[in-house]
Amino acid sequence: IVNQDVQIAEEKPRAIFRTSESNPANHTEQHDCQHYSIPLEEVKVIFPHGLPRRFKEQIETFKEACLMVRKPAVELFGYLKSTNFAQPAIRYVLYGESGTGKTMTLCHAVHYCAKQGWLVLHIPDAHLLVKNCKQLLQSSYKTERIDQPLQASAWLKNFRTSNEHLLREIKTQQKYTWNKWDSTEEGRPLVEMVEQGITRMKTATDVVGAVLKELKRQCSLGSFKLLVAVDGVNAFWGKTTLRKRDKTLVSPEELALVHNLRKMVMNDWSGGAIVTTICQTGSVFKPRLAYLPHELLGDEGFSALEPFVPIQVPKYSEKEFESCYQYYLDRKWLQHEKGEICAREPRVCTNCSAFSSISISGAKKVSPAPFTPFLPVYSKKKEKKTKPFCFSKQKKNLTTKL
Amino acid sequence: MAAAVRRVLWLSGVSGAARARPGAQTLRLICTSTAVQNRSHIPGPPVYTQDFIKEQTEEFNLGKRHLANMMGEDPETFTQEDIDDPKELFPSKSVCQWGEDGRPFHFLFYTGSQSYYSLLHEIYAKLLRIQKYEDEMRAQGSFPGTGNELKLIGSRWLIKEELEEMLLDKLSDQDYSLCIRLLERLVASPCSGIEEEYMAKFRRGYVVQVQRFMNEPLQYDEQGVAFSTGEGKRKTARATVIVYDNGSGKITVNGVHYIHYFPILQDREQLMFPAQFLDRLGKLDMVCTVSGGGRSSQAGAIRLAIARALTSFSTKNEVECMRQAGLLTSDPRLKERKKPGQEGARRKFTWKKR
Repeated sequence: IVNQDVQIAEEKPRAIFRTSESNPANHTEQHDCQHYSIPLEEVKVIFPHGLPRRFKEQIETFKEACLMVRKPAVELFGYLKSTNFAQPAIRYVLYGESGTGKTMTLCHAVHYCAKQGWLVLHIPDAHLLVKNCKQLLQSSYKTERIDQPLQASAWLKNFRTSNEHLLREIKTQQKYTWNKWDSTEEGRPLVEMVEQGITRMKTATDVVGAVLKELKRQCSLGSFKLLVAVDGVNAFWGKTTLRKRDKTLVSPEELALVHNLRKMVMNDWSGGAIVTTICQTGSVFKPRLAYLPHELLGDEGFSALEPFVPIQVPKYSEKEFESCYQYYLDRKWLQHEKGEICAREPRVCTNCSAFSSISISGAKKVSPAPFTPFLPVYSKKKEKKTKPFCFSKQKKNLTTKL
Repeated sequence: MAAAVRRVLWLSGVSGAARARPGAQTLRLICTSTAVQNRSHIPGPPVYTQDFIKEQTEEFNLGKRHLANMMGEDPETFTQEDIDDPKELFPSKSVCQWGEDGRPFHFLFYTGSQSYYSLLHEIYAKLLRIQKYEDEMRAQGSFPGTGNELKLIGSRWLIKEELEEMLLDKLSDQDYSLCIRLLERLVASPCSGIEEEYMAKFRRGYVVQVQRFMNEPLQYDEQGVAFSTGEGKRKTARATVIVYDNGSGKITVNGVHYIHYFPILQDREQLMFPAQFLDRLGKLDMVCTVSGGGRSSQAGAIRLAIARALTSFSTKNEVECMRQAGLLTSDPRLKERKKPGQEGARRKFTWKKR
């Protein structure tokens, strides 16, 4: 009888890590620390570009997308549910140490709004706009600005995937002339404009600017609700690593995309909400341990975003860690006893931030990648690009190869 | 006897046949073997027989007493601190192995290494004896138990150099391994207890390592919490650690939490290893200061310091386990010096054919 009691007691805590409530609108504090799964078809539609790389790998491995319901997300939903759409849009800034789950909370909010029928403007990582951009064109619209056709067209493609049904209904309110041959008439559905931007890459940045202008204008009228979700909003104010042809540094305002997105993040429109995260991980020229809003945004960014509602995303608590651990056990990711034993120990040692809970000594040899929520296995190996052989101008290199 | 007679007749028969054939050319023997040649007039290598050594030992003892008398000390308890023992002065070398007629004494002389092969023969004879004994026991119906492992613990077989010394004969590696295998076979049989003394000749006990058991006592601070300090180094990094008992597993390095000081997992693993080894992961608090070196060497230095500090918290067995796991050993590796004529310590310049 004693054995049965022990078994029952063991089963109970294992069952608590999952919930069957798949609609984020119904997530309350009761569902705290529980995983809910998103159907894979919805993931393709809602998150064409939003999820972190490791989470995508986890979805591939486990064949399901499971998100943990956490307190910051529930708090955010409370605010979103009680928004007054007549008032200007409120800005919410999710901040916290690196690896604590800000991007995942943002994705949770995006899922909630998508389910509610909002139009979601999701910029997956704003840092990608300010660094490592291959093609920079001088903008035809304003000569001092710089276009980024690749980034703009990629974003437009994903934007269309996630919001197709809404974009068909929204009509343009003015005529746009892109160049000598292309133009979009008044009253055409926005989808056409977006497709124009995807097909003609040179005009993509201007299309993005036009789309954002239209959405901002029409949202205040109240026909649809708009969610602007920006991951890494501190990239808009700060520095870039891009250089112009004359080797001078490009500042963020000179990038047309950043300029337009800054306008989007202003609270001069109503009928929606702006949820952002500030992130050190991809940021440019920011100290590693900085995570507070003022540190990462700088004076300029802070005054531009002010007033905002800060929501801190903390490291995993004991309960959340336990839930995550049970999830991995359930998915048979932790197979060896040693991995399980070692799993319990770092909870005490590492103060459990979502990524920092990776520090386990023996388990590394035993189970492949414990305790990152996003598992770095089964990633498709990128094919190495082989450089074509060319006669190098420097003769020294040739002689050493001999 | 009969074989010897037959041998003599055969020889004479051969010589008779040679003489009986008049037409046959007598073959003149040009070269002879060393056994037939008489070389007794040439003095051989210096030989120290057992009698010779006995004489020397007696003379040595006499001389020792004279010296003791001269120095005014008691001849009975005179030690040999300054005097060489004749056994060392005249090392035992192999004695002359053939007699005046040139015929070797030992039947295995012509194998080349007579002592080695005679040893193998001896061991095999012992093995046969053991098997015979075992058969007798089984015939009586009493099955012998296995009690040999206990005697083998704490000792090892002779190494090759020691066996060479014993046999006064050069051995090759294969010879040595064959001998050891034969001895192992001897030991493996259950009734080998009867040949214990013989086997003991080939066993040497392990020299017990002198362990510096660093038994520093625990210190107690104002609140009564026990703590201990440890120092460690690795390459150029130097670290000091204070380990407090009754903790929650918090580690602070130079005032910074260790997650922020060591963002790489590998370094944090190194810090956690000593505590995890002793199953005390969540029970200790550590405050570390480290300077010098790089990321990895700082982590290694702190690990050594933690392990040394933990010796005060653990029992002798645990300390021995840690020592065997290599936690208490300072890593001696340092950056190797760059040599002239090479690009680095080992890397040579690119070799150009012309």
